[in-house]
Formats: sequence, C-alpha cells, structure tokens
Amino acid sequence: MKKFVMIHNENLCIGCQACSVACRNENKVPDDVYRLQVHIKMSGTFPHLKSDYTRHSCVMCEDSPCVSVCPTGASFKTENGITLIDDRLCVSCKYCILACPYDARFVDPITKAIGKCTFCYENRLLEGKEPACVSVCPTDALVFGDALDQNSEVSKLIAKKSIEYPKAYLNTKPRLGFIKNTKGGRYE
Amino acid sequence: MAISRRSFLKTSTAIGTLAAFELNLGAKSSLINQSSKLVPSVCEMCSTRCPIEAQVIDGKCNFIQGNPKFNANKTSVCARGGAGLNQLYDPKRIVTPLIRVGQRGENKWREASWKEALELCAKKLDEIKQKYGPQSVVFTSKSGESHTQMTNFACAYGSPNIFSHWSCCPITYNMVLSHTYGSGLSRDYANAKYIVNFGHNLFEGLVISDTKKLAKFASKEDAKLLVLDPRFSGVAAKADEWLPVKPGTDLAFLMALIHVWIRDEKYDKKFIEEYTIGIDEVIKSVKETSPKWQENITGIKAKDVERIADEIWAKAPQVIIDWGHKTTTTKAEYQRTRAIAIANALMGNLEKRGGIFFGKDAKTFNKLCGEELFPTLANPDAAFKIPKTQRIDGCGEEGHKHFFISRKHGVLMDIAPAILSQKPYPIKGWVNTRFNHLINVAGTKDTIKAIKELDFVVSIDVYLNDFSNLADVVLPEATYLERDESIQNKSGTAPGYYMRNKAIEPIAGTKSGYEIFRELARLMKIDQNYTWNTINEYRMIQAKGNDKLVADLIKDGYVNWKVPQVYYREKSYVSKFVEKYSNAAQFVDENGQMSSQIKFKTPSGKIELFLASIEEKLPGEGSLNTNNMDVYGGHEFCLMTGKTAIHTNGHTQSLPILNNLMSFSPLWINTKAAKQKNLKDGDKVILKNEFGEVEATLMLTEGIREDTLFLYHGFGHITPDLTRSNMIGTNQSVILNPADGVVCGTMVTNVGVDIIKA
Repeated sequence: MKKFVMIHNENLCIGCQACSVACRNENKVPDDVYRLQVHIKMSGTFPHLKSDYTRHSCVMCEDSPCVSVCPTGASFKTENGITLIDDRLCVSCKYCILACPYDARFVDPITKAIGKCTFCYENRLLEGKEPACVSVCPTDALVFGDALDQNSEVSKLIAKKSIEYPKAYLNTKPRLGFIKNTKGGRYE
Repeated sequence: MAISRRSFLKTSTAIGTLAAFELNLGAKSSLINQSSKLVPSVCEMCSTRCPIEAQVIDGKCNFIQGNPKFNANKTSVCARGGAGLNQLYDPKRIVTPLIRVGQRGENKWREASWKEALELCAKKLDEIKQKYGPQSVVFTSKSGESHTQMTNFACAYGSPNIFSHWSCCPITYNMVLSHTYGSGLSRDYANAKYIVNFGHNLFEGLVISDTKKLAKFASKEDAKLLVLDPRFSGVAAKADEWLPVKPGTDLAFLMALIHVWIRDEKYDKKFIEEYTIGIDEVIKSVKETSPKWQENITGIKAKDVERIADEIWAKAPQVIIDWGHKTTTTKAEYQRTRAIAIANALMGNLEKRGGIFFGKDAKTFNKLCGEELFPTLANPDAAFKIPKTQRIDGCGEEGHKHFFISRKHGVLMDIAPAILSQKPYPIKGWVNTRFNHLINVAGTKDTIKAIKELDFVVSIDVYLNDFSNLADVVLPEATYLERDESIQNKSGTAPGYYMRNKAIEPIAGTKSGYEIFRELARLMKIDQNYTWNTINEYRMIQAKGNDKLVADLIKDGYVNWKVPQVYYREKSYVSKFVEKYSNAAQFVDENGQMSSQIKFKTPSGKIELFLASIEEKLPGEGSLNTNNMDVYGGHEFCLMTGKTAIHTNGHTQSLPILNNLMSFSPLWINTKAAKQKNLKDGDKVILKNEFGEVEATLMLTEGIREDTLFLYHGFGHITPDLTRSNMIGTNQSVILNPADGVVCGTMVTNVGVDIIKA
C-alpha cells in the first residue's frame, strides 16, 4: 500500500501554466472545464506587493465528502488513497460537486460524467510514472510520491518543510499540501 | 468531518469497486497492444529550443515532455512546449500551398500543388533578379535552422538583404558580450550568491534550463535576487528586493553602482589589471554618476544604491549582474548592456563558480584534454557567402552607423522605409519564413504600405498569419514535430549535441525549411553550392561520416559525455578535471588555475572596458555615456511590453489550448494613475503619440509605476483567417518609434504615449 501525496511549493511555482496544458493533453480534458488550474493573485499596494500562486485541483481527501455522499458508489477511493470516479456507476447526480469543499469537480460537457484530477492514476501512475503536471513542471514546484516510503522525495520534503493543507479545519485530510508563499514586497 | 460509520462502510465498498475498476482498465489496456513510441526531438514553440520527447501512440502525437536525457531540463516543458501537439493538430493550420487571387490582404486564395507554388516562386524571383538585380529581394526569418536555410538560399540567389529577428530582440547582449569579452558567456545561476536582474523575466519568457536554476536560486534563503523592473513582473514577484525603476534608466543605476565601487576601491583590482584594458576610461565616465545623481533619473534612493553596491561586493565573485535577453528598452541599450558587462568584470566573476563563464564545446575540450575525445562538426553550408553588395540598412558597411551589425541579422526597422523611399535602391520582393513582421517590428502601418508596393511576396508559415495574409504565395511549413533537422551544438559546461527528429510524418505533405529552400534553389538552378540533397546527407556531412553520432542522436535526441565541469579560475574544479584528463596538467598554472586558457577574441586580447574600435567609428560610444536614456519623448506615460509564459511573440495567440488560457492582453495601468484620469477597469482607451494611435482596454493594477503602462506582446493581429485572434488586443508595434539604438541598431520597445478615453 502506498500513500500518494503531492506537494505544491508556492515559492517555486511561477504560474507558467505548463501543468495545466500537460493535464489537458494527457487527460483529454474538454474546453471550458479543468482538472487543474494555477491562480495568480497579486495583492498589496504599490510598491509593497506580493503575488501568490495557488493550485486548484482535487486535494485527494482521506475522508472524502464526495465519496461519502455518492449514492451509487461511483466515487470511490483506491487503497492508495486516490479518489476516483467509476464512469459506469456515475449517474451524474452532481451530489459530489456540491459536497466537494474544494470546488474540484465538474460535469464533463461531452460525456456528462463527473470529471476531476485523478493524479493521472490510470494513464500514468499504473505505469509507474508521475502525474503529467509533476513531470513537466519547469521549476520542480510539484513533488509527488509515497509518503509511507521514508526515502521518497516527498517524505523528505514533508520532514523538512512546513506543509499546509487547504481548508484543514474541515478535517478532510487532504493529500495535496502546500508550501506557502513567503516572497513579495519591497525591501525597505 | 468526523469519520462516520457510513463513510467507513463506503470506503470498504469502494475498495470492492476498485477491483472492478482495474478489471475494466485491464480490458481497456489495449494500450499495451497499441504502437507507442517516444521520439526525442527539439521544441520550436519559442526560440529557446528545449530538448523534448514526443509520445506517439498509433501514429498520433499524444503528449510532449522534456527529454529526460538532458539533465538541465529533465522532463520539464513549458505551457507553450506542451501545446506543440495542439499546434500540430490545429484545424487552422495551413497544409496546402496557397496562391493569392484577390487583392493583397483581402484573404482570397486558391489552393495549389507544391509543384505549381514553387514554380511560381522560382519564376517570379527570377524575373525580379533579371529586371532589378538580386539585391532587390529582402529575406526575413526568425533565428534558428530556418534562418540558416533561408540565408543559404539568399546567398545562392545573390541578395545581401538577409534579416533575422535579432534587431527586435537579443541583438544587444550578443553584440556587447562579443565586443567586450570576444564571445558569448553563460551565467551560473545555480551557484551564485547574488543576482542583479534588470527585468530578465525568465519566469514569463521561459528558458527552462535557466528558469529552473533561477527559480531554485530565488527560493534559497542565503542568496539574494535583486530585480529592477517598472512592473511587478513574474521575476519581481520572486525577488528578495524589487526596485520599481523608472523605465529606460537601468543605465544610470549601473553607472552609479560602478561609481561607488570605484570611489570606494571595492572592485577586483587584480583581475582588472590582468585581464582588462580601459579601466581609466571607465573611471572617467563614472566620475559624476553618483548615487545622488541617479536618484532623480531612476527613482531609486541614493542610500539604496550605496547599500546594494556594498552587498554585491561582499558576495563577489559569486555574483551575476544579468544582461538579460530581449534588451530593447531605450536607444541607450548598447551602453546599458556595456555597463553590465563592465560591472561583471569589476566583480572579477569570470570563470568563477557562481559567476559567468565561457561555454565549452567539443573543440575546446579536445584541446584541454590533449586528444580528440569528442566529435566536432563540419559545416555543410561553408560555401555560402553573403554577397558584398550594398545592403539597405548599411550593416557591416564602412562609414555607416550600422557598421558593427552582422550582415546575417540586419536591422528590421529599415526594411519598410527602404521600400517606400526606394533608397538606397528599389526593393521588389520579400521572402519570409515564420516571422510576423507586422506584430514584431516597429511601424506596422508603413510595413503594410510597403508590402503593397512589392512585385512579389512569399511567406513560409504554419498559419495564415498577419504577414502571410499579405503574401502572394504562402508555403505551408511542416511543424517541428514533422521535421528532421540538423545536428546542433548544445554545449554548456561540457560538450553536447542535440537534434530534431520528426515525431510523425508531415500532415498532407507539408515540407520543412530544408526541403523548401533546397527545392527552390534546384528549380532556379542556383544550387551549385549545396553540398547535400536531403537532410540525412546534411547530417552525415556535419558528423563527418560518424554514423554512430547520428544514430545516437536519432535514438536519444541529446548526446553528451560525462566530463567534469571546469571553471578556469577555480582551483578545485581544475584539479578534478586534471585527475580525469591527465594531459590537461600542462595547462595548469602555478596558482592551480587554468588562467592561460582564458582567451578573449577582442582586438586587444583582453576584456575591453573601453572599445577603441567603436570609438574610432562612432565617436563617444567607446566609453560609457549617459545619452539617449529618455523613453518618454515628452509624453505622460512610457508604454512597455514583455513576454507572457502562455504565448510566443506573435505566433501562438490563436492556438486553442493557449488561447483558452489567455485570449487577450489588457493594458496595465496603475490604479492611482487611472483614478487621476477618471479611468476605470475595462475602459477602452486610445494610446497616442507622433507615430500613430492604437486602441487598448485597461486593467487597473497596483503592480506598475504610475508613469508606466504595460502590455503583453503579441496581440492585435489583423489576420482574418485566424478568427480567434483577429482584431483582438493591442499591437504595440503600431505606435513604436522606428528609430534604432546606438551601435547595435536595437528596436526600442519602450515608447512615450498619451492616453485618451475612447
């Protein structure tokens, strides 16, 4: 069994959207919906500014509201902690979209099934490859791996850095963590 | 959310589902039976040329990532690079030659066979040559292999009027480094302790190997990234200190830095004495340029300059004062970049870890190692010489202000005026490959007027883009994913080569630049200097018959050899190198360095802090001066442009996957400045100056100075075939000053404008 975890280092992320393009091509994501986006938000008053780069995608909760509410069992978790949707069981009732506190699911405009980030489970992980976004990231801002393996890069990163988890107060225990941005402003 | 019994049960059933799911996947796993291959190649979605790997499943390109064999990038690729396959399959791509049937620019075409289209090109070009002479055709291209092949053809045809995109982008640093150090240099971002960055926005104009290193540098706690940029750019957002310098005034800041270092004797005197000439001239030129003096020019406080000068000196030589890439901000750009070159020399950072260094290719390493360990390349194009006849822009010609500019690259802004004025002689034809002159070069209106005067225009492109829309014949080029190309040098700290291999066969028989120009030359019977017929012959001539090198490059895309890195002035690196290559011991001097290997291909054989050769022909430009910094020209605002990570110059705006990420480029204006003028977010405005006017849509932001405006370059197309990008956004080139910068003829992309509410 593995505990797949992804860490997004916001200090290394430059918002270049390479991950987004890779995700779309790898997973054949239709136009106008997305599995993954990186938002860039500038804040402050000139010249005291900062830009935050935040990833929006499924956070792979350990305790997933989307799985809990799914009436048909279409939303489920693999034993490695990855939340997936079995298209054959999905009736597109959209309960999971409402239940997801991370706004990470969408209705596929073509198939009408529910779509979301899968960490590229069937197309890459099963072949022993990293998710597409991790693979292409120009600045290595994304680190992915098995948190149960103490020698994995992701374990070393978790041991070394303070990792924050989105909406931690909901206690959904996300497996997508962030190293928060510390950059910005102007030296005075 | 507490774990409820219900959710626990749900999880267990889910595991049951998983088995079924994987079973289902097993059925889907015809993946295994599909023909799947990885083709190592080279990207061409921008000018960087990153090594890539294209995944091809059943003959269809499915995914692109970096070539993992190239260590500096590994599997990384940017958004544009990843979108290469979307360009390949873009329904808007042209795949059949087109011949104009309506008026120029009317977008009325008929499809033609390659035979007919190439024969028409040959006939028309022959006619022009007979009637007006070969010099009356201009040739433009972006740089790279298409430029090489176009240059061969132009030489064969007999025209000296060859242009690359240099003058509107990287010409300054290329010329300055060669004038000052005798050749190009690399920056050791990975090991530096302090980097001064003048808007070299590697986080939006991506060069992955450098971007990766700079991003990691910026995230270090014991290193400092100082960014000067009037805008809070991607790289400014990652800086330890951001100075919103007034546009065009970096030079004043640099001259103040140099002033402080010299005043306080905080520079590497030993290095300056041993390796340079002209320090006295530098001392003279910065006598008055104190931190106080620059305060009113740059907007940076004198005390900050004093502090920064000390900070940098404390970290020298592990310091990089970055010369950037597209340095086209003022007419004084040559002097700005010269000041950077001089500032680096004063810090003594050459051939030091964390400083700047010479790229070392196979030839250099063979010499160092005392044997032919690494293959070197031959040049199949050696017989092609640029005709010595007069050029329209005077590049390389005695007595002309463009004397120092390469005749291979030229000054793009001089083309339209030469056509319109018929001076120095009439121009009748234009051959272009993959360069969008209307978006990328100042004076768009005159360019359009000029093109309409011509007898014959041919454009080679992937799209019916702005320039192609004004052509008579458009030849659809194969995209880079459908092209085999030549072996290219990819040496950095060690020798290396890479090569573009086609991932799939060209769709609908489109052709590569190698094929198009070769066939045209054959048709016109001007191909006597071609030593090759096909790209495979070309590769084999390059490899001097070393078929293993070619085979390895077909298989791996990138080839290198495990050679320890060497900085000539770092003892520890030198000794490790000698350990591996004992013959190299002969080059080690008594300090344990290899300083004898540092050779400057300058007239004096030293780093030239003063340039006698320039001074002789362009008096006053041999030493640093503070002329021509102004970019406002009496207007209220300076309009700047820059790159976005999503698009490449004027090329990709219409590409669906990238267009969906960024379909528009609004005009950045500071919130306060907008309020003063009673302008709101989303307002349409007219940008106006003596060169023209253009419409823009405002975006209010805190991320820019009050006296500055900013646009992402590449929008404002007038290309009816590309409906996604046609007439959307602002083309800055319409209102740029076509006058160029001193010495290097750079196109200045900072321009003074006034804003009027539309």
